[in-house]
Amino acid sequence: MHKYILRRIGIAALTLLAILFILFALMEFMPGSPFNDEKLSAAQRALLDAKYGLDKPMPTRFINYVINMLRGDFGVSYNISKNTPISDLLKTRLPISLRIGGQAVLLGAVVGLLLGILAAIKHNTILDPLLTVISVLGISIPSYVFALGLSYVLGFQLGWFPMLYRQQQALQSSVLPTISLSMFTMATVARFARTEMLEVLGSDYMQLAETKGVGGFALIFRHALRNALIPIITVLAPLIVGLMTGSLVIEKIFSIPGIGQLLVQAIQSNDYNVIAVLSFLYSLMYIGIMLVVDILYGVIDPRIRLTKEANTVHE
Amino acid sequence: MKNRNKLLALLLVIALCMGAAPALAGGVLNVQFDVEIASMDPQIATDGTSFEAQSAVIEGLYILDAAGSPIPAIAESTSVSEDGLTYTFTLRDTVWSNGAPVTANDFVFAWRRLVDPAVASEYSFIAGIAGIHNADKIAAGEEPLEALGAVAIDDHTLEVVLDIPVPYFINLLTFPSFLPLSEEFYLSCGDRFATSPETINCNGAFIVTEYEPAANTIVLAKNPDYYDAEKVALDGIRYQVIKDSQQAMLSYQAGDLDVVTLAGEQVDLFKDDPEFQNIMAGYLWYVSANEQTAGLENANIRNAMARAFDKQAVADNILKDGSIPADFAVPKLLATGPDGLDYRATAATYLATDKELALEYWNTGLAELGVSSLSYSLVVEDTESAINVAQFLKAQWEDTLPGLTITIEQMPKKNRLDVMREGEFELGLTRWGPDYADPTTYLENWTTGHTNNTMRWSNLEYDEIIASATKGELTLDPVARWEALKAAEAMVMADAAIYPVYQKGDAVMIKSNVSGIEFHSVGTNRVYKNAVKE
Repeated sequence: MHKYILRRIGIAALTLLAILFILFALMEFMPGSPFNDEKLSAAQRALLDAKYGLDKPMPTRFINYVINMLRGDFGVSYNISKNTPISDLLKTRLPISLRIGGQAVLLGAVVGLLLGILAAIKHNTILDPLLTVISVLGISIPSYVFALGLSYVLGFQLGWFPMLYRQQQALQSSVLPTISLSMFTMATVARFARTEMLEVLGSDYMQLAETKGVGGFALIFRHALRNALIPIITVLAPLIVGLMTGSLVIEKIFSIPGIGQLLVQAIQSNDYNVIAVLSFLYSLMYIGIMLVVDILYGVIDPRIRLTKEANTVHE
Repeated sequence: MKNRNKLLALLLVIALCMGAAPALAGGVLNVQFDVEIASMDPQIATDGTSFEAQSAVIEGLYILDAAGSPIPAIAESTSVSEDGLTYTFTLRDTVWSNGAPVTANDFVFAWRRLVDPAVASEYSFIAGIAGIHNADKIAAGEEPLEALGAVAIDDHTLEVVLDIPVPYFINLLTFPSFLPLSEEFYLSCGDRFATSPETINCNGAFIVTEYEPAANTIVLAKNPDYYDAEKVALDGIRYQVIKDSQQAMLSYQAGDLDVVTLAGEQVDLFKDDPEFQNIMAGYLWYVSANEQTAGLENANIRNAMARAFDKQAVADNILKDGSIPADFAVPKLLATGPDGLDYRATAATYLATDKELALEYWNTGLAELGVSSLSYSLVVEDTESAINVAQFLKAQWEDTLPGLTITIEQMPKKNRLDVMREGEFELGLTRWGPDYADPTTYLENWTTGHTNNTMRWSNLEYDEIIASATKGELTLDPVARWEALKAAEAMVMADAAIYPVYQKGDAVMIKSNVSGIEFHSVGTNRVYKNAVKE
């Protein structure tokens, strides 16, 4: 198992390096430069390019960047926050995005699971089709529509929650963005949980457990849920990644000083270092989540762990 | 798993500890920004948002009054030598927020930084435009910093030597790039300068109490040590960055904002509201016609195209934000002449919409070229308003001028600037914003070989007038210079070197209990020193 994990981490690191290289190549092909404002003369542009090392060929810049990155230096922003080290920008912004994203995953997964289980248990009542309709809506309506709607109704008309994010009211003001972000996750998880639970509840071992006298809460949560969880975790991973992209719009609507908003702005203004760091970070999260999910399978289902170990030994 | 739980618990605790925000005092003005502050370093910033915040907390030798004329600020008195080349400023007794006095050396240090090639300020050229001795040479690395024509005679006396008598020199001093900076303070900040309230030294009407790079909330408080503090009515300003215009308007309606900028269709919705205001901005939008394109070198074709679209409709039906049709190359409310009048008040208008006249020019042009049809592509940046205007132009041109076909090519602004600069375009919808209150901030762009002369238009007589008006003999005679600039504008327009479309207007909502915000089209766009919130 350890060897397997180590190998996966090694592959992940190489993938990240390749991603960074492709990023640099793509930025090279991106039209414009950070310093092609209409106010600048050719001499000034040359001066600025030289100051930030942009006059050097792309491979050199890439190698320099990787070396600096390993030293913990991610470079400075050219446009969004002139000359500010990007690590400074991340220090305040990354925790906010992670927190709201984390809240959304948690809310989406927990509520989604409960709804799914409820729909499965109450399979033959009106509740089931009702929950299905709700989850279809949740999947098909984009998160920014929820965001604008929630903001208008709960924020503006009823005044229950702040419409905009405020650092001083970090909890209250993150309620609306969290709900908007979690909708898709919630609906998807609910649908999967319902299907999986129905299947598991109908299986022989569940009927056995039931006849053995295991009842109610324990039956559902200890026996059924554990078996239904694996496919759900499989969908949860891409959903978490989906949250990161969803946050680009949600952060704009609620004025959240997070990294999603930063990335959009960086791309628009050719702020190379910011684009590089944030894309790298998103890739890191994506690859990291996939890695964690792979390992989690093993924890939840011993069969997978054993097969993998067997495979590793044979190799 | 355990660690994750701990992390979540920790985050929850942190969130709870933050607690509720304290209620804002009545005298704090809540203002929307639609973009983050790019820099609080006056010599580095280049955008209007940064300029506005900097000017609220730092004051230079002169500031603009409500009408847009420069009035002394840190300069108590100013004397000018007879040849107009040497300015001696006597400074007021004022202090920085760190307690140190504001001295002449603070200006010398800041201005040297502005032209220092190592700092590579994007606005270093403005010191050259101001005519400060050796500014351009230092920026080009040909002279040392010490050669700059700004010297501290003593703590209270600043002497500035110009290469030429620049008529708008005092006006330029209101530009944020010329704000002072204490050398001692700057050095004490290390590489953290202008990144937090502690590293921003203020001498203006307000001080910074809450700020971090690219912050969404910036809070200023009234500066009790400001020399003119008794005239400052506001307790502070709270800037909130809101990029989504609908959210901004909801916040305004909910009473969380006092000043908000409207976008697109909102203008139509709120234009009859008593709190709605139109503010004239300095930007001129025009079409650049690349004269290296077959057909566009013909002045009759250009004159036809420049007159063939309904400018009033662009302003009233497409933009609806208070923009006005532009029948000129130098915008309104930009510069005041030696006669004390706005430049446009005495200058003629040109290239007004006239579809019949356009058709005459068109037929003459086609005959001269020996063709019956022409087709061009129009490059335009991918913003909603630019695309809408481009589509309207295309429809009007194709409708008015038979045989003309236009294809619209959308691209990001950075890309558009590139292709236009390289001359790899046919027609381009572009804009220019003024840097200082003089017609040359526009007219200089269209001299032969200038980076912004994207249409590759050339008129040597025109070049001579502009050279003389900026660096030559005309600078000695303001009245003759003013008339010469009008003649130069007439040349650009007679040739239809550019097709002016509109001068940009901004639509804002200001709460009825707020008054006294001063709007300017050059440099610092909004000034709050005299603002009142009842």
